Amino acid sequence: MLTPEQSVLVAIVACLAGAALTLVVARNKVAAGWVAFAVTSVSAAVILRAVAEVLWRGPSAHPAAFWAMPRFGFALRIYVDGLTAVFLLLASVIAVPAAFYSILYMRHYREYGVGRYYPYFLLFLAAMYGLLSTTDMMWFFFIFWQLMTLPGYALIRYEHRKKENVWAANKFLIMMQVACAATMIGAELLAVGGKAVSGSASLKYDFDTVSANLPLLLATRPGMTALAFGLFLMGFGIKMGMWPFGQFWLPDAHPAAPSPVSAMLSGVMIKTGVYGVMRYFLWLVPVSARESYPLARWGMLVAILGTITLFTGTMQAMKQEQTKRLLAFHSIGQVGYILLGTGACMALVAANTPAATALGTIAVCGALFHVLNHGLFKGLLFLNAGSMLHATGTQDLNQMGGMMKFMPVTAVTALIASFSISGVPLFNGFVSKWSIYVAAIQGSGWAHYLVVCAVIAILTSALTLASFMKFFGVSFLSRTSARVRERAAQGRMEVPGMMQAPQVALAFCCVLLGVVPAIGFRLIGRALGASRGGLGTALASASPLLSGRLGGVGETNSAAVFAPLALGVVLALTFALVYGISKLGSATRRAAVPWLCGYAREAECNRYVAHNFYGEIKRYFRWLGGMPRVRKPPVLKGQF
Amino acid sequence: MSSVIWRIVGGVLNVGIVLLVAPLGQGVLRKVTARVQSRQGPPLWQPYFDLLKLLGKEDIESGETPRMQRFAAYLSLATVLAVACLVPMGFASPMNGAADIILLIYLLTLCGICTLLAGLAAGSTYSLVGASREMMSMIALEPVFAIALIVGALHTGSFRLDTVLNGSVYGTAGVPWSGLIMLAVMILSFQAFVQRVPFDISEAETELMEGPLMEYSGPKLALFKYAQMAKLVIYSALFVRMFVPWGAGFTFPLAGLVFWAMFWAKVAVVVLVVTLVAATHARYRIDQAIRFFAGMFAAALGALVLASYGY
Repeated sequence: MLTPEQSVLVAIVACLAGAALTLVVARNKVAAGWVAFAVTSVSAAVILRAVAEVLWRGPSAHPAAFWAMPRFGFALRIYVDGLTAVFLLLASVIAVPAAFYSILYMRHYREYGVGRYYPYFLLFLAAMYGLLSTTDMMWFFFIFWQLMTLPGYALIRYEHRKKENVWAANKFLIMMQVACAATMIGAELLAVGGKAVSGSASLKYDFDTVSANLPLLLATRPGMTALAFGLFLMGFGIKMGMWPFGQFWLPDAHPAAPSPVSAMLSGVMIKTGVYGVMRYFLWLVPVSARESYPLARWGMLVAILGTITLFTGTMQAMKQEQTKRLLAFHSIGQVGYILLGTGACMALVAANTPAATALGTIAVCGALFHVLNHGLFKGLLFLNAGSMLHATGTQDLNQMGGMMKFMPVTAVTALIASFSISGVPLFNGFVSKWSIYVAAIQGSGWAHYLVVCAVIAILTSALTLASFMKFFGVSFLSRTSARVRERAAQGRMEVPGMMQAPQVALAFCCVLLGVVPAIGFRLIGRALGASRGGLGTALASASPLLSGRLGGVGETNSAAVFAPLALGVVLALTFALVYGISKLGSATRRAAVPWLCGYAREAECNRYVAHNFYGEIKRYFRWLGGMPRVRKPPVLKGQF
Repeated sequence: MSSVIWRIVGGVLNVGIVLLVAPLGQGVLRKVTARVQSRQGPPLWQPYFDLLKLLGKEDIESGETPRMQRFAAYLSLATVLAVACLVPMGFASPMNGAADIILLIYLLTLCGICTLLAGLAAGSTYSLVGASREMMSMIALEPVFAIALIVGALHTGSFRLDTVLNGSVYGTAGVPWSGLIMLAVMILSFQAFVQRVPFDISEAETELMEGPLMEYSGPKLALFKYAQMAKLVIYSALFVRMFVPWGAGFTFPLAGLVFWAMFWAKVAVVVLVVTLVAATHARYRIDQAIRFFAGMFAAALGALVLASYGY
């Protein structure tokens, strides 16, 4: 059998080969789609097997070296531990529905072939597998980063005849290169410093070498290591969309790509930045360096940056009137939650008491769980947005309305995703936010600022809800818009079954993880147990969360509990009771049109559209930026 | 096993009492309002008759997706009743072992979501204006309520319902500064939590004609109205448990019963106060209200910081 490391290499090679193969068959859009889907599924199956092996049998003893040129410190060394496994799991779980959705979705691009789509899609996926599992901080990091960035660039400018897409892709490319440079300079600083303090030069860019040299380096050259870590935070922060707080690249880049790629960009790619922060700041630093490593300060910085990111990202999202742009801003906001969890974990681990470490573990569990959950619901939302675009031909929420009647499956899955991202109980987003709140609030004994961060996160969760009530309400509920009516008259609006299936599958995952969160927490608990490197060792041995009764979760000291199944039963019973009450009077039902005070007829001009929502709050937070740039006045048709 | 049975009994009791008492609270509200305004007012039992009458009236569905309208109507009262199972009303919280304060915060939000979905599904412009306003006040109010609970959680170090919903905001030692600030904040914003004048902005009969509920009639309107009445009772109960939980000190055999009766007496006082404020004030505009809530939020944040330092 293959070791996990060999499996990752096989998956990468499979994707590369698949990229060549799809190029050959690219003349037939659907055939190329099936080939890409088959290759993605095979690579995902190989990866999932590797993940299962790491989580249940434990990781390999050493990284596997496949190719090395020691003179340059150049080595393809791959290692799959628990942390890597979680992110690999995410990549494969999102890639398969995205690839499946692409098969029919790509047909609607009449002017663009798929020869510039599927090969890049597979290269992009291969690069993410590589980036998440390589232990080389310099050369292979560079290779995989570029292998991810350049196809990403090509995918974002897929519709290259639209000027704004090319500009968005260029911005993406520039930012990614800045991030790449920052991270590599940081790695070079650590490697050079490590060589100077230890004298050994073999594989100086490898995690193991850097980690071994860090205690001495931190003790002798604290300024230089701080600079290196600052550069890591900058580089990975750009990747995950934190810098520059939603202003420049991400909100333009994600909507420009075809929807399944947006799902991959938002669901998976930006998480490689999260992976980088977790890996470098926690798992790379050995326990022996604890005294000289200012973990508490870094934790504070990450947590506060996370809080700023989640608030600004979500507040800007609330102003959006374009489906995919709104979702892209929310990706920034949700990454903020993940960063808050990571920062809280760092700050609490720094306190170095058993109780604080336990809370730190809850925080990182929440962050990792949110990584998975965000992949699921944001992937789903982008597929929903793709279906809406497919059906209406526009991303403009102002022109949508009343679509639930015409596309019920998309509507219900979009509602599930909206509930998940807003943190409604019984959906998956709630559980991960729950653990981040628990850790941040109870951890405020060690770091007072955390409780304020938690309250801002709760406030932001209400903003998220507001944004998604608008997103769902004005597109699927409300009244049928002129555009939707026109499209509906032309024929079936609901997307074909093959495009519904990935949406339904992702929605099912959201509900499953929401009702039985113990699955997620067990998985992450195992992952933490299987990644015993650096300060992560402390997290691996603490087990603060119980898989409580009925598939719920609770803290070991039972200060916080959540049993979703019990809540589900209570809600179902009260729902049945209420249903019974409503039938008591055996009232009859009749359909009618809404009443507009008798002197106005229903028309496109008096529909309440996305632009009209939340005017006061949008006005108060105008200074935060992100106001929609192009606002066409509503089309005045019909009679007054 | 017996504890499970007691929890079920407790849950049924809570739901039953809330369903029975809620219209009475509304009756008191209407009667007292009328008296303040020198009117005779309807009999105390009028809300019960209103609900019964509505249940039998024709149900006109104006939305394009009637299924969503029905779902929202059923879920709105169902969520409120589920919240009733979380709140300790004179005895231990029936869901104590399965839920904590974070769930309580988010379930109360879910009650609001139902009204929003109802308004959005009804599709009338007025409903949508109301839904937009309702959401804006929720954004401002949810964190204030959350802070009140979190202050208690910080003082006790626990998120359990029974621990936090037991006057925990005041902490244990010294002058409870954070608790007193939160008490003031909650008193000042309580009308908004129960959606009464001067903060009934999303409904605003005189301008939006009930906002999100404008298009509803018959049984669905009965359910929404019922949910709103129940909310008044539940928020009053939460207020009593958080800020004036005293009265459990009796030691004679009937202690439990007396405690229970005292609890409901205190809830009645809160309802009365809400009524008096509602009857003597005029409605705020949404922007005025948001500025007011922002001030409340700032004060609450101050209390939170004090609480995290143990004051």
